[in-house]
Amino acid sequence: MTWLVWRQYRAQGAIALALLAAFAAVILADGFQLAAHWHSILTTCSGNNACLQQQEPLVNGVVSDLPDISLIVPTVLGILWGAPLVAHELESRTTDFAWAQSVTRTRWLAVKIGWLLLAAAAYGGVIAALTTWWSGPINALSASAFVPGQFDTQGIVPVGYAVFAMALGIAAGTVARRTLPAIAVALGGFIALRLVVSTVLRPHYMAAVTTYYKVTGSFTPPGQAWVLGQGAVSRSGVVVAQGWGDLYPALPASCQRLLPTSPTGKSGSESAVFSCMQAHGWRGFATYQPAGRYWPFQGIETGIYLLLAAALIAVAFAIIRRRDA
Amino acid sequence: MCPQRPPGTLAAMKPQSMAVETHELSKRYRRVSALTTCTVTVPEGRVCALVGPNGAGKTTLLRMLAGLTRPTGGTARVLDGVPRQNAAFLAEIGFLAQEIPLYRRFSAEDHIRIGAHMNPRWDASLVRTQLTRLRIPLGQRVGTLSGGQRAQVALALTLAKRPRLLLLDEPVAALDPLARQNFLATLTAAVADGGGGLTVVLSSHLVSDLERVCNHLILLAGSRVQLSGDIDTLLTEHKVLAGPGDDAAGQKQNLTLEQMVVAYMGADEASGGKHLTTIGEGS
Repeated sequence: MTWLVWRQYRAQGAIALALLAAFAAVILADGFQLAAHWHSILTTCSGNNACLQQQEPLVNGVVSDLPDISLIVPTVLGILWGAPLVAHELESRTTDFAWAQSVTRTRWLAVKIGWLLLAAAAYGGVIAALTTWWSGPINALSASAFVPGQFDTQGIVPVGYAVFAMALGIAAGTVARRTLPAIAVALGGFIALRLVVSTVLRPHYMAAVTTYYKVTGSFTPPGQAWVLGQGAVSRSGVVVAQGWGDLYPALPASCQRLLPTSPTGKSGSESAVFSCMQAHGWRGFATYQPAGRYWPFQGIETGIYLLLAAALIAVAFAIIRRRDA
Repeated sequence: MCPQRPPGTLAAMKPQSMAVETHELSKRYRRVSALTTCTVTVPEGRVCALVGPNGAGKTTLLRMLAGLTRPTGGTARVLDGVPRQNAAFLAEIGFLAQEIPLYRRFSAEDHIRIGAHMNPRWDASLVRTQLTRLRIPLGQRVGTLSGGQRAQVALALTLAKRPRLLLLDEPVAALDPLARQNFLATLTAAVADGGGGLTVVLSSHLVSDLERVCNHLILLAGSRVQLSGDIDTLLTEHKVLAGPGDDAAGQKQNLTLEQMVVAYMGADEASGGKHLTTIGEGS
């Protein structure tokens, strides 16, 4: 059985490996350069935070977008390998050949699915590992590993995405029995779920922490925290996110008068406004997920996708076992 | 679960074992009945023709016997087991579906290796010898072979499983006369090699072809069995029915298989679905 899977996927597998090697070559070449640059910055600044904050972002141009490739890898796997896994064999009637051998349908599906999920996990894992390594200096300088976008390409979540996308493609192909609709479902379903999970669910895996501080001061959560919201809140509970435009109508008249007409120009007037706000009982606030929750969040999100993948695989098995061939 | 001998069969009196034995086997797809209370037997070692118009239920019956489709009623026993998804059962069955399913991008050699990995008994040399004899290239993608060559590859692969029951669904339908003849020659040789251990059920429209290779008949029409049994016995019986009477000299007309089959094909309509099963196993 394994030999059949090998024979069916060896050509595509070779292409996939070549693409992975190309990705790795670029990431490694750029990554070593990045690391060297980062070390020179560290030497120059020698622990001076202000100096570090004045540094320009570490990457520009095409290479900075390279890790985003890993965002589309799961979809591509699901479309090219997952969706046709059962559907194309049904369409070309090769199931009648495979199922006429001395192998049950269940075993046929188990071996195919097993190897392809393994391949998806490995592929997603290698890309994630390379991206995580490459992002090290950027994470350190910008403290951004927890931020959406970075969070999605690093750590273990890409493995969950890849396995889920593959499982979705397989299940869609098994239900639809045709490759094209299965591709549409795999593509649409994966993108929709990723959007819903990352924007709606992820901020609430654990109750966010809110810190209040003097509105005249400033506050940055320690480490690579994920700041969900920051701004000012009045004594009566009016919340204003950062930005003068939103702030103006919410302020008491006495403070409004102090607002500079061109806020960016006169910082002296800004501090007068803040002092006025503090006198009226305004506080600064920051709502965030602390840096220490990075790995628990990675684990929760990976777990969600793996559970959904398991459910989809169960559906595929139930259909293949029950449906007449 | 299933009675050893369906009531009314003469087989109960004979020691010969049955390769196929069905009792009121039925298959419904929602409102359509694909096969209705089909009770037939095929003794071991026979070559059975499965004939009937399109939609008569031939494919449904074969797929149920192969363990690919589940019946909605009745029982089937194949080689003393119930057709099911079980490696040991599947190893005994050689099933070749109507569309001659092969991986078009793979060569015959690839298929031979796949078969070797998916079957407990696998006679790779049989396929290679057979295809070399027929001058079919082993290393060429099967999608580029002619229809007749593809059918030969598929049949050789099915035989390489060393099955005890061969179920062939319209394997010659798409072939030209020469390819058809070659295909049936291969089949006949395989039966001869099997020494009575190989049973074949072969569906086809081409009764003239079947006449040469088959010695048993199942005739389906309108999802029901119209006729089944040993071909010679059936022909003799029908000759008796049609023959004597006004002809005092006892001059019996020679009824051909084709005439008999055609007469029964429309029987479903004419007899209002009356069950015309005639059983005469053995010879």
